Amino acid sequence: MATQVGISEPASSQKAFEVEPLSTPHPRAPLLLFEHASKWYGSVLALNQVTLELTGGITGLVGANGAGKSTLLKLATGQLRPTLGKVSIRGIDAWNWRARRLVGYCPDNDALYEDLSGRRFVWQMARLCGFDRGEATRRTETALEQVGMSERADRKLQGYSKGMRQRIKLAQALLHDPELLVLDEPLAGIDPIGRQELLELFQRLAAQGKCLLISSHELEALEKLTNHVAIMARGRIAAVGTLQQIRELLDDYPVSVRIAVEQPREMARLLMDLPDAVAVEVDAKSSSLVVKARNPKRFFAAFGRLAVAERIEVHSLEPLDESAHAILGYLLGGSGKT
Amino acid sequence: MAAQTDLLLRYRPWRGTLHGPLWSALALGRASVKLMLRRRLCWGLLALSMMVFFFFFYGQYLVVWITTQLADENVAIVGLKIPAREFTKFLGRFALDGSAHTFGNFIWFEGYVVVILLALAGSVLVGNDFFHGSLPFYLSKPIGRRHYILGKCLAIGFFVNLCTTLPAAALWFEAGLLYDWKTYYLDHLTLLLGVIGYGLVLTATLSLLVMATAVWVRRTVPLAMVWMGIFALLRLLAVWLVDGMHGHPTWRLLDLWNDLYLVGLWCLQADPATIRPQPQPDFWEAGAAIGGVCAACLLYLRKRVQAMEIVT
Repeated sequence: MATQVGISEPASSQKAFEVEPLSTPHPRAPLLLFEHASKWYGSVLALNQVTLELTGGITGLVGANGAGKSTLLKLATGQLRPTLGKVSIRGIDAWNWRARRLVGYCPDNDALYEDLSGRRFVWQMARLCGFDRGEATRRTETALEQVGMSERADRKLQGYSKGMRQRIKLAQALLHDPELLVLDEPLAGIDPIGRQELLELFQRLAAQGKCLLISSHELEALEKLTNHVAIMARGRIAAVGTLQQIRELLDDYPVSVRIAVEQPREMARLLMDLPDAVAVEVDAKSSSLVVKARNPKRFFAAFGRLAVAERIEVHSLEPLDESAHAILGYLLGGSGKT
Repeated sequence: MAAQTDLLLRYRPWRGTLHGPLWSALALGRASVKLMLRRRLCWGLLALSMMVFFFFFYGQYLVVWITTQLADENVAIVGLKIPAREFTKFLGRFALDGSAHTFGNFIWFEGYVVVILLALAGSVLVGNDFFHGSLPFYLSKPIGRRHYILGKCLAIGFFVNLCTTLPAAALWFEAGLLYDWKTYYLDHLTLLLGVIGYGLVLTATLSLLVMATAVWVRRTVPLAMVWMGIFALLRLLAVWLVDGMHGHPTWRLLDLWNDLYLVGLWCLQADPATIRPQPQPDFWEAGAAIGGVCAACLLYLRKRVQAMEIVT
């Protein structure tokens, strides 16, 4: 996947875009760039010095309630203006209406005009994008087809289920073929079949070169979609990267590994001699043990040498906590539930 | 969403020219008008507005007909013979003679309907967007917040002009047909321009006021109460202070609709001495009061436009 994610300072080659916000998109500028962006609501700091750069692919945004996810999305879509720092889309200030030609936004609330039909609502949104009647109609049909709502779009919105509302919201975000799609809880309330369809749609959009920033509480669904995540905690980006990269950053936190061997007790004694092993728990019933170790890279290297030297037959070796939930748990200091 | 249709569903490259945000504001205004027209109450109020128009339309015709055809005759009503000229005296209160006061009075009476219609418009078009959180749908499109306000103001202006300027212009055309049309249209062209000017003042002031109050209170009932406060209570207070307490006529400036009426009559070049009730503040004072209201609304809207919490 062509996603470039990072929490580093913007590269020197991009300085040209930093000097003065552009009014037309620059193809070499990062698609979405947060530069030390902070956002205060009165005396509450919602976003704290966030630096983030996205250029493509799918990025998941996870974090606990109140972590600053929605604020970050609203800054990215120009709904809000940062108190400090800068947010730009291809070099254009995200607050500028021109930047929104490059961004599609699917908000989490579904306050739609209930007495309009889905087709009419999407069509009106297309007109707001600046398309003439004919093009608005064509784009409406294409967007509805993409989200699987063509056949059901003539009903009034007040009769729609939660899932149908989500699809209509998604359709209006896709209308102008944006480079960046910002989706706030797009899978909420969608049944499993519909969810699978939308996940496939997101993957197809990413394959077409779109950049998707998806906020979701449903980590399992997000994990199926991408392993690039930005984890937010207390208004900061706690980590950005693949789940594995993030896990490697967390060397100070022990990784849990289940190891199935013939003699777990003997193995436990040997493992405790390794400097990175913190704790070992033997499960005699399943002939396995769970070891907690710091610095996974160094631990696995040492474990490999140990297994060869002691001629230990390892049946299986399974990291237990490389899931997003476990990483979130470490980062957020809790269970990982969001 | 079958996989084999994926290629068919890609967007073809856009070869046309995307319209700018001003054009989108027009589209937003159009959508807002349609949104209002979906409300039965809106149609009811428009029907009331039409009734006021028809009263003036047929009133003008009746006055001319009585004057020319029945000047010295009696009309039997419930067995009583009433001189036809008495009707013209009664209708004279409304100045149904194609003069500046015809249009001033017409718009004054339409004001009762317009105020209620705009309270509804404020709630439906603006308050709901804020209260239910629909704003992100609009503001995520390539328009700025100013364009959003412009679009909504266009819709509000449409209804203001539909109830006031357009029918007033129709009355002007009718008056020309009732009198000597060549001389009337030429000699009273300034009246038509005055009607348009009056309409512009109404459009600008009321659309800004609707936007500001709807952004402030958002819900229908509080909005209606605020409007009642502005257009009914303040009016009663002004009348009590000037007519009841014999206070300075400047107190009448509290009555915003009266201020608009005075500025409208200034546009129509009416003689200040002919305005009823007397005394009235000067035209410039009414203009200054309206300017102050517009400035206050603009400042408030500017503050809200720049407020970050608008979409939170």
